[in-house]
Amino acid sequence: MKQLMKNFALGTTLLAAVGGCGGNDQASGPLGDVDAVIILQRPSRNDMGDIFQYTSYVPTTPSGEHARLVKLSPPTADGTLTPICCDKAGAEYANIDISGYDLSFDAKDIVFSGKLAANQAYGLYILHLENGAVDKIPTDPDRDYVSPIFLPGDKIMFTTNAVVEAGAPQHQDEYERGTTIQIGRINKDGTSEELGPRNLSHRTFPTLMSDGHVMITQWDHLGTMNAGHLMFMNQDMTQLREGFGKEGTAASNSTLKAREIAPGRFVAIATARNRTIQAGALIDVRLGTVVTDSKGNVSAYDKMSEATATYKDLTPDVPHGNEPSAETIGRYYDAFPLNAKDKPDFLVSWADGPVESSVLGSAGLSANFGVYVFDTEKGQRRPLVDDPEMWDIFARPLQTREAPPIVASSLDENLAGAGQTLIGAMNVYDSSLKSFNPGEIYGVRVSEGFSSEEGFPRMFGTTMFEGMATLGVARVQGDGSWAAKVPANVPLRIQTVDTFGMSSFSEPVWFSGRPGENRFCGGCHENRTKTTVIDPGITDALAQGATVFNKSNAVRSDRLSTTYTRDQIVGVAWDKAIQPIFDNKCVSCHNGQPGAANPTYTLTDGVQTLSWTFDLRGGALPAEWAELGGGDAGFSASYFSVAGPDMEALEKGGFMVTAGTVKQYLLPEDARNSEMIKKLNPVKQFPTQTSERAFAGNGHMAAQGGTDLTADEYYALILAADNGVSFFSRENNPHRTTY
Amino acid sequence: MKNIAKKLAAVAFVVLASSTAFAGKGGSATNIRDAIASHSSDAIIAEVERAESLGCPDCIQLVTNLTEDNRYEVREVAGWWFAKRPVLRDQLIVGFEQDLKSGDTTAVRNAADFIGASASLKSLPALREAITRDVGEDGKLALVRAVKTLAHTSGNVVLTTAMADRSPAVRAAAIKAWRDILDQKDGSPALALLSDSDAGVRADAATVAGAMNVTSAVATLENLVVNDADSTVRSNAAWALGKLHSTSSRAALTLASGDKSSLVRGVAKAALAQLH
Repeated sequence: MKQLMKNFALGTTLLAAVGGCGGNDQASGPLGDVDAVIILQRPSRNDMGDIFQYTSYVPTTPSGEHARLVKLSPPTADGTLTPICCDKAGAEYANIDISGYDLSFDAKDIVFSGKLAANQAYGLYILHLENGAVDKIPTDPDRDYVSPIFLPGDKIMFTTNAVVEAGAPQHQDEYERGTTIQIGRINKDGTSEELGPRNLSHRTFPTLMSDGHVMITQWDHLGTMNAGHLMFMNQDMTQLREGFGKEGTAASNSTLKAREIAPGRFVAIATARNRTIQAGALIDVRLGTVVTDSKGNVSAYDKMSEATATYKDLTPDVPHGNEPSAETIGRYYDAFPLNAKDKPDFLVSWADGPVESSVLGSAGLSANFGVYVFDTEKGQRRPLVDDPEMWDIFARPLQTREAPPIVASSLDENLAGAGQTLIGAMNVYDSSLKSFNPGEIYGVRVSEGFSSEEGFPRMFGTTMFEGMATLGVARVQGDGSWAAKVPANVPLRIQTVDTFGMSSFSEPVWFSGRPGENRFCGGCHENRTKTTVIDPGITDALAQGATVFNKSNAVRSDRLSTTYTRDQIVGVAWDKAIQPIFDNKCVSCHNGQPGAANPTYTLTDGVQTLSWTFDLRGGALPAEWAELGGGDAGFSASYFSVAGPDMEALEKGGFMVTAGTVKQYLLPEDARNSEMIKKLNPVKQFPTQTSERAFAGNGHMAAQGGTDLTADEYYALILAADNGVSFFSRENNPHRTTY
Repeated sequence: MKNIAKKLAAVAFVVLASSTAFAGKGGSATNIRDAIASHSSDAIIAEVERAESLGCPDCIQLVTNLTEDNRYEVREVAGWWFAKRPVLRDQLIVGFEQDLKSGDTTAVRNAADFIGASASLKSLPALREAITRDVGEDGKLALVRAVKTLAHTSGNVVLTTAMADRSPAVRAAAIKAWRDILDQKDGSPALALLSDSDAGVRADAATVAGAMNVTSAVATLENLVVNDADSTVRSNAAWALGKLHSTSSRAALTLASGDKSSLVRGVAKAALAQLH
């Protein structure tokens, strides 16, 4: 009780402090029709710097207060703050930490994610508001389940580190060293738990839309792409598609904690991936054509498209990156819309000062999030609750809401096949991202992704691409369609390829499908504002029959090359697939001896000077290079010569080129424009391998009087480039060795 | 209140000192040194992460020192930093493997955590050898943690040895780690631990038995779900029985659905619905 009194006193003080600034009268303001507000209070902490942190467990404040859900009624700074959970749930809940919650459509129940003790995981619980009783939803006791939301049909969606793929480990986030979380759902009574298909990185913060779809933040990490975007999916975790941020529309590196303001319109946090305590600026995202109704409410549902999405920065002074925020500027943790005006009002959680984990940590402080009513028209925050020992977050009115419709499922095992996903497009030439010449696309190459969780080193190469295993190439038919049946539940990426096997366009992100899911697109990133009738049944691709990858149903760890031919190559293990080519046909000239065949470049950071001479031999890097970040992960001289050094490491280290030129002879995802490929001039691969060359002339080997590469060898080099120029592949997996 | 001025001064200092790095140039040895001086694990982790791909000779000794920090999360990020520098990592591994052979509890703890965090699979034999020594509870917990992180079946003997340890914490950690080993197919080690004297161990064993489909555990789980004194054990046993789908569990789960603990009741009801 002593603590609550302190809250009221502080809230009243803050209200008085801004009272002279023109704040609304509470009774008639945006909370005028709201009897009570629900707030989550968590003991303050500083170990949730990155946006994917979900395991932080701090059960008590220094004064002994615990995490709790509270009700503020009336919703004013001097209203009564009443604990509603979990004080009546029993002794087992004495040390609970609560990480997130959602209110049921009838406002009678709350589903929340809670952790009862340090040696337990976050699980799901239902709080019955009528009597304060709490029921546990049965989930895997040793896996975390967080960010729950109610779905129509008495279901609950959540994110979890439980794994959908039997026998496979969950993907790892190589940066924050955390286990990724993925989407799942379960019946409210604890039955029928379903885990969604896996992304290579995190999927987090689901939120329900009024049309019944779910919006999430998906971390997209593929090569140079490393950002968090908003995505839509069906309630059964199928038909994932872009929402906001991927096509150059983003306000920041990461967009998270979206909530619908009105159809097609969302408020979200714009911030950086790490060190921002999951807090940042508030943005008002409008996905479609903006419409204002007679009451002044703004929506943007018509022609929703990522490519045409816009946003308004509601807090222009708040940093979008991970620099420390200034005094009086601070950062926002979350926002709940109270109306849909052009400049709406929100319940927000906001903390003042430098909300950045390194700065706060150095000072022994934590961000102090309090709940405010934020008037975006006037740019004013009016305080409601601010317990200095607690994070006061996720405030929302205790009100009923209309349940959206149940969205139909796209699962059809008759179409996709058991344990498989059907993927394809009506017309691959229909693209808003790339103009293709008629007939230039031979097929679509599909690869699966993996990360260090399978036992690989922390880096696959200097180019920072993840591990890839090629599943195959599906031929594009005369009508531009293609179709393939691929393993379900694994991260996938696609590339259009020409008859030489070279990529002409690479999808910059991973996607995935559930068993039985039919993921047919109109085109290849087709214009999403136009109407496309998706009817795969009318395509030549399905008339011919979808290409079936992984015919042997090999498990993940066995999907690897048995030989490095065009049709058998899966991963391009540098030492196994590429080095033998160099050893047999290249090293007699390209042997590290300075000269015309082996150019040299020199770098300096002002302290040390390093020279590198082109060398296609397979030996280890010299020690002086091995000590440079990015260059010492066991890569060979040939790899370092062809892939180049880690450019980010050189930049961060302040290195400058003083002589020669630093080159990448193979460009990630771009074999066609790679100097090595153009010089060698590869032969045709599809539909059959011939001696026809991709470029003019007969190529480098003929010009030098050397032995030409075989068609399979050319394809291995092309695939090495198009798969990101990594050194390690599944064929190198150290887990295949007994220790 | 007496520390507020000092804290605010520290904030101002760090913001000023870090301005170059925050402009996008990444980390530096100076930033890491300042973070270490602050004694904040969050600050240290943030700065070491920022130096992820930094060519930084001055960072090496600083991060090496962090491998002996008293906080696991700090030792972990130090190991992660070296995992991206295998040549340096392998140089350090030589000393850490020696610590596994003859070091005291703290030395073994630090060595095992470095091996795990730096993904040094080749050190699994040294972990196997170390678990046979009396390396103290912290040392054994770190050995188990390393094997769990490496997730290789060559570390199984570390876990089975730890499952028989006198420390309940070590036994619990070992059985929890067992299911996270890649390609681990046999969940039977959980069976014996269902009768462990420690409730935490029994609870974790029940989870593993359900998750790894140990059908031979059904009878023991049915007993636990009704009779165990600990509500977490009963709850986990109910969850496991739901996973094992045996119709023989109906009576026990029906009883459990009336358990005095709401934790158990809800799980038992859902488990009943999953029986064949």
